[in-house]
Order: sequence, then C-alpha cells, then structure tokens
Amino acid sequence: MYDLVIRNGKVVDGSGLPAFKADVAVMGNRIVKIGQVPESAREEIDAAGKIVAPGFIDPHTHFDAQLLWDGCAKPALAHGVTTIVPGNCSLSLAPLKAKHRMRLVGMFNQIEEMPLKAFKEGVVWDWETFSEYITRIRKGLAINVAPLVGHSVIRLWVMNEAATERTATDAEIAEMQSVLRECLDAGAAGLSTSYVDMDEKLQPVPSRYADAREVDALASVLGEYGRVLQIVPEFYDSDLTIARLDQLAELSLKYNIPTTFSPLFMNADNVDAVNRVMARVDEQFARGARVWPQVQTRPIDISFSFSVPSLLFMRFPTWYKIMRFGTPDEISAFFSDSENRVKLIAEAAPLEGLWPTLILRHVETDANQKYVGKTLKEIAELRKTTPVEAMMDLSVEEGLEAHFLSAGMGHNDDAKVAGLLNHPRVHIGASDGGAHILSFSTYGDTGYLFSHFVRDLNLMTVESAVKKITSDTAAIWGIPERGMLKEGMIADIAIFDPSTIARGEEKFVNDVPGDGHRYVRDSHGVDTVIVGGGIAWSEAKGYQDARGEVLPGVREMVAA
Amino acid sequence: MPVEQLSRVRKSILPQVGDDWSHIASRELPDLSEKDAIASLQSWNLHVYMRAAARMGTGSNNILPSDVIFVEPPLAYG
Repeated sequence: MYDLVIRNGKVVDGSGLPAFKADVAVMGNRIVKIGQVPESAREEIDAAGKIVAPGFIDPHTHFDAQLLWDGCAKPALAHGVTTIVPGNCSLSLAPLKAKHRMRLVGMFNQIEEMPLKAFKEGVVWDWETFSEYITRIRKGLAINVAPLVGHSVIRLWVMNEAATERTATDAEIAEMQSVLRECLDAGAAGLSTSYVDMDEKLQPVPSRYADAREVDALASVLGEYGRVLQIVPEFYDSDLTIARLDQLAELSLKYNIPTTFSPLFMNADNVDAVNRVMARVDEQFARGARVWPQVQTRPIDISFSFSVPSLLFMRFPTWYKIMRFGTPDEISAFFSDSENRVKLIAEAAPLEGLWPTLILRHVETDANQKYVGKTLKEIAELRKTTPVEAMMDLSVEEGLEAHFLSAGMGHNDDAKVAGLLNHPRVHIGASDGGAHILSFSTYGDTGYLFSHFVRDLNLMTVESAVKKITSDTAAIWGIPERGMLKEGMIADIAIFDPSTIARGEEKFVNDVPGDGHRYVRDSHGVDTVIVGGGIAWSEAKGYQDARGEVLPGVREMVAA
Repeated sequence: MPVEQLSRVRKSILPQVGDDWSHIASRELPDLSEKDAIASLQSWNLHVYMRAAARMGTGSNNILPSDVIFVEPPLAYG
C-alpha cells in the first residue's frame, strides 16, 4: 500500500517532453512509481482532466521576514510554488548581530517595502547566525526554502558601520569569506549582491562599497561549493547591464559557478536594448559562462498611497523625500501648502502621460466613493482641477488612505515578453514574492504564465512552461532531487486544471503582523500542492501538512 | 568562444583602490588634458556623477568602489 496515489492525471514531468497519462504513487517523501498503479493507497487524489507537474520553484523572493510568522509563504504555496529562494538583492535576515537589527529592518523597509510594524510585531529576534535563522524558520515550514545570504548583511556583520564607508581590508575580506562559508555550510543556496539599492537614509547599501577584489574573493568561496551568485544590476541602462553580466561571466568562468541577474524588463522603448543584452548573454554562454537573466511573467502594475513611500515616486526628490521621511500629518500639511504644491506639480510633470490611465482604486470615506474606479483625469474634470492636484486633495481628504493604481506600465508587449520567456537562456523568475507588498501583488506569476502565455495566447506549450519553472530552475540552482516527476525524486507536486489555472484579481488584505495590509492574488485552478509527499494545500481543505525543508546544499547531499 | 571574439561593447572599468575622477582620467584617457578627461568621464557616467547632487558616495569622492565607469561614449548601434 502506498501513502498517496494521484490517479488519472496527465503527467507533465518537467523534462519538456509531451504530457502523458499516468498515475503517480508516493511513499514517504518520494515518488516511487509513475505509470499504471493498481495498488491502493492511504490517500488517493483523482486528477482526471488535470495536469500533474513538479512543484514550481520561485528563484527570486523576499519571504525572509514572512517565513518567521508564516511557514507557508501564503499565498505562494497555493499557487503551486513548492520551493522559494529568499535572500535576494544583498539582503537576508542573517547573519545579523543584535545591534544591527533595526538597521537591516530599515533597509528591508526601504528596498522591499516591508512595513516596520510587521517586524516589530511579527518577529521574535532569537537568532544572530545564519544557522540559528535556519533553525528558527524550520519550525512549521510548509514550503521548501533555498535561502541566499545577502552580501550587505555579511559586510555589516564583519565591518559594522564601516560597511557603508569604505572598501574592506584584506583581513576583513578573509573574515567575510569565513562567514560566507559558515552560511553555505548552514544551508545557504548562494550569495546575493546589489549594485543599485539604497538604504533607509537613501544612501548606497553596504554591498555597493565592495570593490572587485572583495566580490572576487566571495565568488571564490561560492566556487568551493558550486553555489549561485545573484545580483541586481543597474537594470535601467543596457550598457551598465552588459558590463555587469560581463563581470558575472568572468566570475562564472573563473570559479565555475552559476550566476543570475534580475530584473530584465521588455518595454516598448527598450526592445533594442534588451536584444543587445540577450545577444551578450548568448555570447557569454557560448564561452561556457553561466549568466542567467531572470524575467518575470507579469506586466508592471504599481499601486500606491501616500501613507508609504512608493517606487513610482523614487525619481521625484521632493515627492519621495516627504513620503520617505514625513509623518502622515506632515505629508498632509505639505500637500496642502500652496508653495509646496507648485514645486510638486512641476516635478510631477513627467507623469503627465499616466493621468488618463491612473485609477483611484480605494478610499475610506463615503464622500469619495463616487470616484473609485475612475481615472485621475476623469476625477480632475469632475472636481474642476488638475489630475495631480486631485491626487493630492483626495489623499489629504482620505488621511493618506486613497489608493491609486497605475496598470500596464511596462513589460506588457505579450509577443516580445513571450519571446524572452521562451528563450533557452532566460530564467523565469523575479517575482519578488513577499516584497513590495503595498505596491503590487507578487503572487500568482505562475498562474499568469499558464493562463496568459500558454492558454490564452498559445505562445508557449504547457510542457515548456512547466520545464522553465521546475527542472530548469532546479538545474540552474543545483537543487537536488526536485524539479522533475521521476521515480526516486522527492514528491513536490502541483496538480492543476489547465483550462482554469490563473492568478486571481489583485486584492488588498489585512493579514500582515502589526495590523498591516498587502496586495495579494488568490490562486485559481490549482487543485492540490504536495510538498515532500504531504498535501501542503488543496483547494478543498486549504493549508494542511507542513513538510517543507531548508534545502541542503550540494556538498551536504554528496556527504550524505 | 575566446574572450577576444566577443563582440565589441562600450568600454568600462571597475575602480581601483583610491580611484577618483582625476586618477581614472590620467590612467584611462592619457591623451586628453586632465580637465577635458574628467569632464568627458563625468558626462559618460551620469549614473555616478549625478550622485553629487544627492550627496551620496564616499566623502568628496562620489565614485563607489563597485561602480562601473565607462571610459568612452556610448557606441552607435544601428
């Protein structure tokens, strides 16, 4: 008798080969048979009409904090994601000395838009080392985690305040190498670094003070373990992106490591630039380097209110400064002052093209409900003012709880984006899961891949889409025994209906510690998600078994 | 594919210890006067030079140790 049999489904095994009808039997945490399974099982799932695929792997997330209060990384698991990679962009929550906690919280707040209150009320700070953090998140873990360690955090651990003042000495670099080894031994999947991010004081994050010598030394440690280097390049400029991917290629070749950079967006105005980047990627792969660009599936939609700083206003200093450093009362007063308004209106001139599409999506007062769903251009006409002034006035009237949505801002040319997603040297990822929670939903990118690019547009096959987010990802990241449905592999499985799988409508929910809100999307068409042989989530019963693991590195697996 | 066969991209460097505009100018653009070389470098590297306005960087030198510094203008792509 088996523990679990999934019957009558169509198996898309992650290899990219055509789907086939078969049953899948599981014993313990492993797949033991794929084919005809006449034997009975303690639990059976009828998957008729559905696809049985390996669980999806999301290689770019920031669930570091959420995992401390939610071992399911909700709602990622319900979308079929069985493995996540947190710790991207130079930021992880370990190793972290007690004295640096608030500094790192400030960085997470600034860069990943995680609310300060969530850290204050949702986190019990009972770790310092990476190993202690891993022990901490293992409790109640329902999703697999392959965590990166952040370069900025290692720098802070070794150099303290000097981490954002200068290059490291030889002794400090040697100490960083030792700390990185400890993290990799404790289960880190690799190292992340950033060349663009700014901290809570709008100063460069620690990783940006590292010279090439330091990055080389850390990459050499990754080479000892064959682990991944992830970077955020200056993605707004193709020449800079190419220079960074050349830098990665040299490290990849020198130390025989996989590297990945994200994001890479395809917009109407940067098609040639992205083509140049991809041509360079192709050349570097031809040399034998591994430089995987990560491309997200969803278009860029940004929501905002003036109660928290928004990405949308980062390039407008007066706007961003008051959003970043002002209290709600100060922001309201600033918006109401006539002299400030002149300055703000002038600075926001480049947003002119947004007003006809920028929508008011939520208000608190009854008086303004009549404007919800209308564009700022329409609201301005009704209120006999300008769109930018209408935005400020509504925000003040709503105590800064007027929420706006700018949809389809980029990465929305379907044919061109599909061209990238199908590219053999593109890594599908960059969801940013768990981050930017007040700007957009970072959940449901896999549902969007299947509903939009596979089913609606027929620009990808379901087999190639599954391969891209399962076995390809496992191979790139060196994640052993996952990413394919094969006898002997660990049973991480997503069962979904290809005719209905989708991401749900974006909604604003109140489930963040500290009475916080975030944008999420429910899963549609996902039937059952299995992690380590246990049913972690099903549409019928919700969240169930918690068999998630912190995935061991290659060295540990070999030693075992 | 040997590195020599990679297609030409815009030439850049990573800063060496102690580099500032003047050091990079004298090393990378020795045929220009220091003033012209620095002006050229700054115009080709607005992502670094414009940090002065935002008061970012290491003291009076706004070049970060991790910066990519272009040592020629953008190439003409066609």
